[in-house]
Formats: sequence, structure tokens, C-alpha cells
Amino acid sequence: MSSLETKITGATGRAEHPRWQEFLFTTRRFLSNPLSVIGLTLIVFFGIIAILAPVIEPPKYPDHYRIPHTGFRIEPTPPSAAHPLGTTQQQYDMLYGLVWGTRSAFMIGVLVVAANLLIGVLLGAIAGYFGGTVDEIIMRITDIFYAIPFLIMAMALVVAIGRGLKAVVIVLIILEWPSYTRVLRSDILVTRGRDFILAARASGASHMRIIFTHILPNAMYSVLILASLNIGTTILTAAALSFLGLGSETGTADWGQIVSLCRNWIVGAPGNRFAYWYTVFIPGFVISLFVLGWNLLGDAVRDVFDPKMRRR
Amino acid sequence: MSLFAYIVRRLLLMVLVLVGVSILVFTVMMLLPPGQRVSIYVTSERVTPAMMDALIAKYGLNDPAPVQYFRWIAQILHGQFGYSVTASAPVISGFVEFFPVTLELVLFATPFIILVGIALGTLGAVKKDTAADHMTRVFAIIGYSLPTFWLGLLLMMIFYGFGGIFPPGSLSNDAHGVVYSAAFHRYTHLLTLDGILNWRWDVFWDALYRMILPTINLVVINSALIMRLMRSSMLESLGQDYMMTARAKGADNRTLYRVHARRNAMLPVITVSGLTFAGLMSGMVITETIFDRKGIGWWMAQAAIHLDVPAVMFNVLFLGVIYVVINLIVDLIYAWVDPRVRLA
Amino acid sequence: MHALTLVETGDLKASFYTFEGVVQALNGVGIVLNQGETYGLVGESGCGKSVTVRSLMRIIQAPGRIDSGRIVLFLNRDDRTHGIDIVHRSEAYMQSIRGSDISMIFQEPAAALNPVLTIDYQVGESFRFHRMEQMLDETLIDLDAARGARRRFSPARFAQSISAALLRRERDGLGRYAERVQVIDNELYLLEEKQDGQSEGRKGELNARRDRARSKDAFVSLARHFPFLRRYRRKLDATIHRHVVELLTMLGIPNPENVAERYPHELSGGMQQRIVIAIALACHPTLLVADEPTSNLDVTIQAQIVELIKTLKKTFISSVLFITHDLGLVAEMCDRVTVMYAGDVSETATVKELFRNPLHPYTTGLLASVPKEVQDEELAMIPGAVPNLIAPPPGCRFHPRCPHRMTICSLEKPVTIEHSPGHWVACHLYTEKDAPHV
Repeated sequence: MSSLETKITGATGRAEHPRWQEFLFTTRRFLSNPLSVIGLTLIVFFGIIAILAPVIEPPKYPDHYRIPHTGFRIEPTPPSAAHPLGTTQQQYDMLYGLVWGTRSAFMIGVLVVAANLLIGVLLGAIAGYFGGTVDEIIMRITDIFYAIPFLIMAMALVVAIGRGLKAVVIVLIILEWPSYTRVLRSDILVTRGRDFILAARASGASHMRIIFTHILPNAMYSVLILASLNIGTTILTAAALSFLGLGSETGTADWGQIVSLCRNWIVGAPGNRFAYWYTVFIPGFVISLFVLGWNLLGDAVRDVFDPKMRRR
Repeated sequence: MSLFAYIVRRLLLMVLVLVGVSILVFTVMMLLPPGQRVSIYVTSERVTPAMMDALIAKYGLNDPAPVQYFRWIAQILHGQFGYSVTASAPVISGFVEFFPVTLELVLFATPFIILVGIALGTLGAVKKDTAADHMTRVFAIIGYSLPTFWLGLLLMMIFYGFGGIFPPGSLSNDAHGVVYSAAFHRYTHLLTLDGILNWRWDVFWDALYRMILPTINLVVINSALIMRLMRSSMLESLGQDYMMTARAKGADNRTLYRVHARRNAMLPVITVSGLTFAGLMSGMVITETIFDRKGIGWWMAQAAIHLDVPAVMFNVLFLGVIYVVINLIVDLIYAWVDPRVRLA
Repeated sequence: MHALTLVETGDLKASFYTFEGVVQALNGVGIVLNQGETYGLVGESGCGKSVTVRSLMRIIQAPGRIDSGRIVLFLNRDDRTHGIDIVHRSEAYMQSIRGSDISMIFQEPAAALNPVLTIDYQVGESFRFHRMEQMLDETLIDLDAARGARRRFSPARFAQSISAALLRRERDGLGRYAERVQVIDNELYLLEEKQDGQSEGRKGELNARRDRARSKDAFVSLARHFPFLRRYRRKLDATIHRHVVELLTMLGIPNPENVAERYPHELSGGMQQRIVIAIALACHPTLLVADEPTSNLDVTIQAQIVELIKTLKKTFISSVLFITHDLGLVAEMCDRVTVMYAGDVSETATVKELFRNPLHPYTTGLLASVPKEVQDEELAMIPGAVPNLIAPPPGCRFHPRCPHRMTICSLEKPVTIEHSPGHWVACHLYTEKDAPHV
């Protein structure tokens, strides 16, 4: 049938593979949404800053993440020529802290989410595909993790392991994987029941093959959406822990840490209430932008991948 | 399976989960050296370094882990939770002192969070792709991206720093004096309720007044999730065939949205609302720290920093219980509301 | 136009504005339904049958829209000679005739019923929307009788007096609303034929006013909001429940009291479809539209439902518009039939005439492809596939698959002509003849 042939080879005769079509469609859909473009721009912007950190703000100490401080005065100073974004309590340079903090933020976010994805997909696939006792056990374990108050446990664990950003990363990985497992498992349960899996089994495919070539590509969407949305919340949690004093030590280029330095300066002297607004506003604003970018991206990913919304 | 059997089964499951939680907490605790674990067993503050070794030996803090675990469980079941350095009191007393503060704020804020989420979500779904829809979605996504601590600080800076209204803390100094005086009977330990019950409306208003700013903080950040869920759930509901039937019957717009679409759309929101409530109980750490409200969140922040082991363990267990119980209640409510779910 | 016309559409065009493009669903559809007949609408999936009937009731879902054309309904029970073009009427007007003068039943009964509401409520809704005054009257009679039976100063009597007062208010409010609307409608009927600018303006103004008229009394609405005060409506609910049970019994549903308490998912498919029919017939509509009501059911249940509709047609409803892709059902049920293809009307005739003398090549192809009782040769089929309506073929939309296609077919859309009395066809094969055009 000639119309079918035309569809496959396309007008130019080049093979217009359906996967390529899907990719183009997805990309176009993605870029047509102004919010996702904003999200992408924000992330790229921060990414560039992270990569160019040594260029923008050359490090002064062997440990690149130690913020240089000029003097030991407690009171923060407003933006000036020497310190374009001002300084915090104890005279840490805000700009340096924020620029290098971008790096640590990326690292934390990507590390935690990547590890969570790995663990979550592995356990979720096993639980969802094989079912039975294995499934029960894994589900009970996730139940237990869900019941534990997250922030409190995180605080306790960080202190028990020994404070610092490494501890924060480890703790977040330990506490966050259950939601990935649950999400992947439920998608797998849905996919598993579909007819083409039955067909694959009937034609003798092995378990591994079924999982990797048939089930996972169809069940991955929700987990990927979750991962992209979670990068933002992970960074917020890490910042919160730093804010409480449990993350990096004072003077490290870590966003939450910088915000915690401004706690005493919310209210300025009477007569000039907003004296120290910059030290409160700026670091939090940067965090918000970063998380906003990831959330917009995650939302866009969800809009594009959600099968129910696709053909509208 | 009858309702009774279902509840029994869930309770058993609950016990299983709680056992798991206790094991997990215990494992974390075992990461600490014995000296810091002594405080579970002592009931008063005065422990000198000299006594330390004796105590360690006495309570077998160098015994194998499983032995210690069961010893600890036995103690818990006897109601002995140890002494909390951060509370300067036995853990139970500290809990009675701190928990009502958290409970009050959670009870006050949760209805607002849910209502705002539902209202904005419905608005976004009904007026899809209009300005109202876009604005609510933007509001939700920004709210979701803001760090709690930053928004709290900003709110305080603007309202309290600049406007002088909504000061932090749970009570003013005067009200504090009243509440802790002999004449004031603390029936519920909830400041607002106690204020009414004691007919001291000044206490009531004072407590309420100071809850407003933290509530705004919580609403902005937490309603986003419910709003999004409500919106997508409502959109799905609006696209169903029974909506077409209702329209074909000649239903007016109000009935269409309220009775037909929204009732179906609310179902998933029930579950999430319950989880939000439970999550708030355990997640108030930052809010309480910033607004200087001494609830269990604030207590836990102190406890973690000072390695106050018994306090942390008790609260983790307690919040675990709360979570599981709320889950059960939410499931029951869901089954009651959705006729398709039968608890078999 | 006969005096007996019930529904008439003229050059109806509707499209769906989707992400992938504009789906031109209806390409100038014209059908004429007469009172008292069972009218069949046949065609493949996607040919526009559902869109056509949904535009009759104006319940097309976004992103679909009626682009242009006329839809004239002769539903005024007092005056069947005047029709109204409903394309531009207000939503409030449409809400008053949907379910009351024209009703629809759908393909999937399970999906058509709201899963979280009881049967009693869902059937009762039809009464609540359109027969509220009657319900209130009956309730008031009951209440008065009950009050008379009670002692003079008992609290029960007092409560009933309050209920009666509130219900009376509601009924009076409804009565006033109906009067106001009637006045507006009368004027609109008179202006119906006029097309000049001033009339159009006045029509728009009247429509807007009709939309704004509030049927709900403010006091009553307030009372309904408070859970405690709602008890006064219990008697009303009881009255409606009585009517619901009556209706279910009439439709042959066994154990109607029990069924009314249930939820949709607790009933079988055939039962669900009966409930859907009950909902549609509650207010004795003039026209019942059935959108493939049996396609999703077992054959035995299918037969039952078909029998039910036939019986109801004799007693309850006057006209039925039956959509199906099953020619056998058409032969069994319908008086006249229209065949549609890809948004066009191909052919319209009485059932006998269509089967005996199909004119349009598509109809011929359809009839040929149905397996016969004695089937010697291969099953005939129409080659090709239904066109993509985003980029439909020019001219006659059937021409790529037509064995009799001519050059003109790809250039011009054929006009519908009356080939023989009552037999209309849209095909270039027949337009050379000197026949009256539509």
C-alpha cells in the first residue's frame, strides 16, 4: 500500500524513524511551553556559573570551598566595590559563597538523586516484577521508612555520622530512596499486566530481557518525573540542614550555611529596619531561583511525558 | 472481610512497622559511643564523669546490640523514656510541655492549607488556560520552590521588622506570666483553647495572633502540592463520560462542578491531605526555629545538636505512631467516601 | 419543511481544534427528523455521527466547536410549527431543554454513571432539574396532610410548618422564574425569523437576560447551606424517591427499591444501561437520542435493550434518533436512515428503500460487506481507509475509495439532491439529472 510506504520513508525518502519523530515532537512540545524554557534557562545559567566558578571568583585557599573573609567584624556590610553582594556576619564574601555554592548545590542534588534512582529502580523493579514475598518485604521496609519523621531522623543521622556535607549527602540518600521504589513499583505493576509482556513471556524471553527491554522503558516515566522534581527538594532539604548548623562548617561555600549566618540580622536598628535586608534576601533568592528552575524543568518533563496529557 | 477484621489487620501491620522504626532508630543510636547513650537510663541530671563508667557497666552499654535493644524495648513498655538534657526534665515531661505547641499550630494551619489548595486547584481546573489558571500555577510553583527558612525570615522581616506586627514566639511576656500563674488551669495545654476555657480572651488572642505568620509561611509552601493534585484530579474528572451524562440531563454549571466533578476529584486529595497533616507534625523544625515557638520541632533541633539521645528516640517513635495512625484513619475515610472501595 | 418536522439541521459545520491541527469533523451536515419516527444514523467510527447528535444538544466538549450552520428544533409542545435555531441560544436555555425535551443515552453505561452517587440520586436529578415545581407541589400536599394528623402544638408539627413554608417559598420562586422566562421566550419566538441587525441585537439582549434570571431564592439557598437546616428537604427527597422507584418499575427493573440504594458499580451492564435510559426518560422527552447504546453489551442484553426501546417508543417517547454502525439493527428498528461518511451525509432514505435501492457507492459498499446468510464468495470490502479529517480529501470525501469516481469528484463537493421522493443522495453520479436541490 503506497500510503504506508510514504509514511515510513517520508517525503524526502530518508527513513523517518518513529523514535526520531517522537523525539522531535517531545522537544517541540517542551520548548513551546514558556515555563519550561525559563526553567531550562535558569539551570543552564547556574550550570555555567558552577563550571566557571574558578574564573569568576578565584579561590584563595587550598580548599576551594572556604570563603575568604576580610576581617572578623560581626556586622554584615552592604554591597560595595570590593564585595559586590556584600558580606555576611563575620565578613564572608557573599558573592564567592554563592558562586561556589552553586557547585556544591549541583553536586549534592545530582549525587543524591542519581543514587536514589539507582537504588529505587533496582529495588522497585525486583519488587514489582517478581512479586510475592520479596515484594512484601521490600514494601514493608518502605513502609517503615515512610513512617519515620524525615527531618528529625535526618538531623539525628547527620549528627551521629558526623556533620558535614558528605554526611548530608549520605543521609539524604539513605532516607529518600523509598519513594522512588514505590513509584517505580506501581508503574511496573501496571505495565506487567499488559498484553505485550504476556506475549514476550509466551515467546520465551528471559526475565532479565523482559525487564530491561520491555518493562523499564515503559515504566520509567513516573520515576524520571519524580527525579527531576526531587532535585529541587533535595537541595532545599540540604540547605535546611545546613541552616540548622548540621551541614558544613561556618565559612564553607554552601547556600544553606550562608543563610544561617543571617539569622541574627533580620531586624536592623530602630530607624533603619531594613538595614541588613541584603544579607537575608540575596542568598535565599538565589536558592529559590535554582530550585525554581529545577521545578519548572520537572513540571515540563511531566507535562511532556504524561501519557494522559500527550495528545491534547 | 469485615471492618473489624480489616482494622485488626491494619493494627498488626502498624505494630510491625513500628517495630521496624524502633530497630532503625536503635541502629542509629548505636553509632554513638556508650557515654552518650547513658542518658536513656538515667532519670536525673546529675551524672558526673566518675559515675560514667559505673553507669556504663550497670546498664550494660557494651553488651551486644540485640540484648541492648530488647532491654530498651522493655524499658519503653514500662513507660521509662529517660532523661532529656535539652529539656532539663524527663523526656515525658518535656514532651508534655512541647508537643501542644506544635499540635496547636498544625491544627490551625492544616485546614487553611487544604482549603487554599482545593480552592486554587479547582479554580485552575475550571478556568483552564486562562489568566487565573496560569497565575495560580505560577503561585504554586514559586511557593513550592521557596526554602521554608527563607520565606519565614522574609515574612518576619517585612511584618515584624518593618511593620512591628506578628512578633515571633508563642506568647507575649505578659501572657506568659498569666499562663504560668497558679490561677490559670492548663486543661489542654493548647494555648488558644486554654485561653477560652479560662475565660482569658487576652491569652487567646495573643496566642492566635502569633500563629498567623507561621501559618502564612506554611500555607504558601504546602498548599502547592494539594493545589496541583486537585487541579489534575479535577481536570480528569471533568473529562469523564458521566460529566457528559450530567450535562445531557440539563445540569446547571454549579451542580456540574460541585456535585459531579468535585466529589470525584476530591478522592485523591483526601489521602494527600492526611499525609500533609502527618508530615507537618514532623516537619515543623524550621518553622518553629525561626518563629521561636518551642514545640517538638524546635526541641528536636536542639536535641540533635546536643546528642540528646532519649529525646530523639522517643519523638521518632511517637511521630512514627502518629504517621501510621493517621494513615489508617485516612484509609478508613477514603473507604467511607468512595463506594467502590470495600475494605476486603 | 413539513409541519411534522422535529429536528432540522442545515449545513452544519463543526471542528475540533486540537494540538495536531483542526479536525474538520462535520462538513455541512443536513438531516431532517420527523416527529414520531425512529431515525437511524449509520456510519463507521469517526464519521461524525456522535458529533452531529451532540451538537443537537450542544454538548460537544472542548476543543470541539460548532463553526456554522443551523440547528432548528421544533420542541415547543404547544406549538409544533415554530422551530428555534439553537446554535446561538443561551446556555441556560439549552440546560432547560436538555433532559427535558431532548435526552441522550450513551455507549458505555458504566462510564456514563457517576461512581460516587447512588442510583436514586442520579435518576432523581432529572426530576430535580426539570420537574421541581411538580415535586414541590406533591411534597406540600403530603406535608399538609401530615401536619393535619399531628396534635396542634407538637414540635413535630412546628418543624413541618417550617419545612412547608420554606418549600412553598422555593416553589413560588420557581414559578416566578418560569413566568419571567416565558415572557422572554415568547418574544424570542416572534423574533426568530427576523435576521436584521436590530432583531439580532434584541435577541442577544433577551438571551443575556434569560441567562441572568435567577431561579433560586436567596433565602432558600442560604437555608440549604447549613447541614442542620437541610432536614426540611427530607419530605421532598422522599417524594422524588417515590417517583424514581415508579420509573424504575416502569422500565422493568426488578426490585427497584433495592436498586435505588445501590451504586453503579454494583449493577450489571444491562441494568446500568436501563438506568441510563431511565435517567433519559424521566421527564418524558420528545426526542430520545441513543448513541450506540448497545455496542458495548452482550448480544442477549443487546436484544433486551432494543426491545425495551421499541416498547418505550410506543408508550413513552415519540421520536428516537438511533446511532449505530450495525446495519442489522437499523433494519430492525428504524423507519428512516441517514448514512454518513467522514463528516458528510452520503444518503438518506427510508429503511426499505435504502436496502432495496442503495444509490451512494459507499452505501452499496457497506451493504455488500455485511456477511449474508448464504455467503458464497469472499466478503466484499471497501478498499482504503477512513481519511484523516485534519487534511481531508478535496471535493467528495469518499472519492479516493470510490469505484465510480470521476474527475469532478475530486474537485467539487456534491450537493444533496432528492433522487426520488424521500430518497436523498449526495453524489456526482446523480447530479446530472434534473432534480430539485436542497
